[in-house]
Amino acid sequence: MKDLIRASLAIIVISGVLMYVVSLLEDTSSAGGGGTINVYNWGEYIDPELVSQFEEETGITVIYETFDSNEAMMTKIEQDGTTYDVAMPSEYAIEKMKESDLLHPIDLNKITNLENIDPYFLDLPFDPGNEYSIPYFWGTVGIAFNPSLLEGQTFETWDDLWDPTLEQEVILVDSAREVIGMGLNSLGYSLNSTDMGELREATDKLKTLGPNVKAIIGDEIVEMMRREEAAVALTWSGQAADMMWINENIDYSVPEEGSNLWFDNMIIPKTADNVDGAHEFINFMLDAEVAAQNADYVGYSTPNQAALELMDPEVTGDERFYPTEEMRERLEVYENLGLEMLGVYNELFLEFKMDMEK
Amino acid sequence: MEKLSKTARIYLAVVFIILYAPIFYLIFYSFNSGGTMSSFEGFTLEHYAAVFNDTRLIIIVLNTVIIALLSALISTAIGVLGAIGIVFIRNRKMRNAVLSLNTILIVSPDVIIGASFLILFTMIGIKLGFASVLISHIAFSIPIVVIMVLPKLMEMSDSLIDAATDLGASKRDILTRVILPYIKPGIFAGFFLALTYSLDDFAVTFFVTGNGFATLSVEIYSMARAGITLTINALSALIFLVTLGLVLGYYFFNNRTRLTIRPPGGGN
Repeated sequence: MKDLIRASLAIIVISGVLMYVVSLLEDTSSAGGGGTINVYNWGEYIDPELVSQFEEETGITVIYETFDSNEAMMTKIEQDGTTYDVAMPSEYAIEKMKESDLLHPIDLNKITNLENIDPYFLDLPFDPGNEYSIPYFWGTVGIAFNPSLLEGQTFETWDDLWDPTLEQEVILVDSAREVIGMGLNSLGYSLNSTDMGELREATDKLKTLGPNVKAIIGDEIVEMMRREEAAVALTWSGQAADMMWINENIDYSVPEEGSNLWFDNMIIPKTADNVDGAHEFINFMLDAEVAAQNADYVGYSTPNQAALELMDPEVTGDERFYPTEEMRERLEVYENLGLEMLGVYNELFLEFKMDMEK
Repeated sequence: MEKLSKTARIYLAVVFIILYAPIFYLIFYSFNSGGTMSSFEGFTLEHYAAVFNDTRLIIIVLNTVIIALLSALISTAIGVLGAIGIVFIRNRKMRNAVLSLNTILIVSPDVIIGASFLILFTMIGIKLGFASVLISHIAFSIPIVVIMVLPKLMEMSDSLIDAATDLGASKRDILTRVILPYIKPGIFAGFFLALTYSLDDFAVTFFVTGNGFATLSVEIYSMARAGITLTINALSALIFLVTLGLVLGYYFFNNRTRLTIRPPGGGN
């Protein structure tokens, strides 16, 4: 019995000491004073140095947390048990959150650095007038390929993926809207199409891609391309940048028929505690120097015009990641098609996947 | 014990190699200066330095340990009392029913437990964070402790309690001087199992973390989304070492208690 009591006391003492250490660490890692804000972002999607810089400049302590999908983030916010002050969802998630009344309007008068943002990225259809969201990063969907594993094929058009010499070489990202959208684009249709005839045609065309498809997977794409286990992948520009970071052989192209243009944005959830702090944080992230450093670290494309001027021209001049405005005209932003249409897309994607197994 | 035959030993070695190979592969690359897991370029400790420089990561590791220790302690206390209660249920049917209810909690998927906790916490208004994680870890550890303690209680002869009563022991004395010392190995086994369950739980924790509080498994999961960095390897190697230490400590303790129980003069 004595043993048990002694062991329990030891555990309680150890936990107490550890808790004390944690509180010490939390104190040293924050400047303290100006309150706290909770930031909820994708993993590896901010330069941690900037968070410390923000804390030093404003005295606001940042509690930083990460999520791995728009859906997970929305669930946490919807459940109301949290008090995130800033989050970074993608555009279609913002539309959904707006519908479910999860967003706090942003006071644009407090966001003085908004003028740094390229007007092209403001007032977009998913949030007219930027009432609820401020652009953070953007990118495209395209084809990452490794010329050293290919015999000179290029990817100017989506149809190049159907090239019979690419048997068992193509990886697709496991996402209904990207794949069906690619099918629609290759036929010259809008990737927001709700026309059943067009969707059927696109799915039937996708089925003929079957023999070329090696795998339909998620984030593993980056690692597979880096290790040269596959030569061609349908993926997002950010993932392509990640691949190129390690494997310099890889190239990226956005086919000329058009593709998807996506945006991740900063928002203030309805459940926010420190709305003023959230505004300060958003404004800070839009500062030209801050945004430039962040884009440098994260590797995605920044919508911040003033930051672009501060960055390495070799990066910002790279039309694969910073397509010119003329090229962007061929790109389309996803519209929220509603639950029913999303179901149709998922159904068709499933049909395509099932067909592959035959 | 009979000596193992040669084929049996080879078989054992192969199985262990297969089971441990991924872990050692991971640890091996944590020393890679190349930055990826595809080719080993040179020896470096920079990934370990990165782990120790990241205050947030260290806070998360410490929080994970605190949660594990406290939840294991509390669930052991509750679980032991529960197991004693179950053993003393006279009605056989009733006892089996309670035991099955306990087992159901162990076999039901973590995801369902986690999701139901999330709904419960938000319904009664508990903010997600330290408390919510601690409560849910205690909850899923209790059935495990019960299962670990029960066999010891079952094997304990009723005559021990009868003898104690005959000698004038009060109910309290019987509990603290007869039952608890007898089932002590079971209690420690239950504690250590609850500790490891809490340390590596992902599914339940994933649902109930929030407001800046995260445990290691949840944090690694979100880090891995952007591609595995070797910092994760370094961290995993460190945790593997700590776990190894815990297991060794457990066996050391177990052996010592077994030695003290062994009757005098009794050899092998």
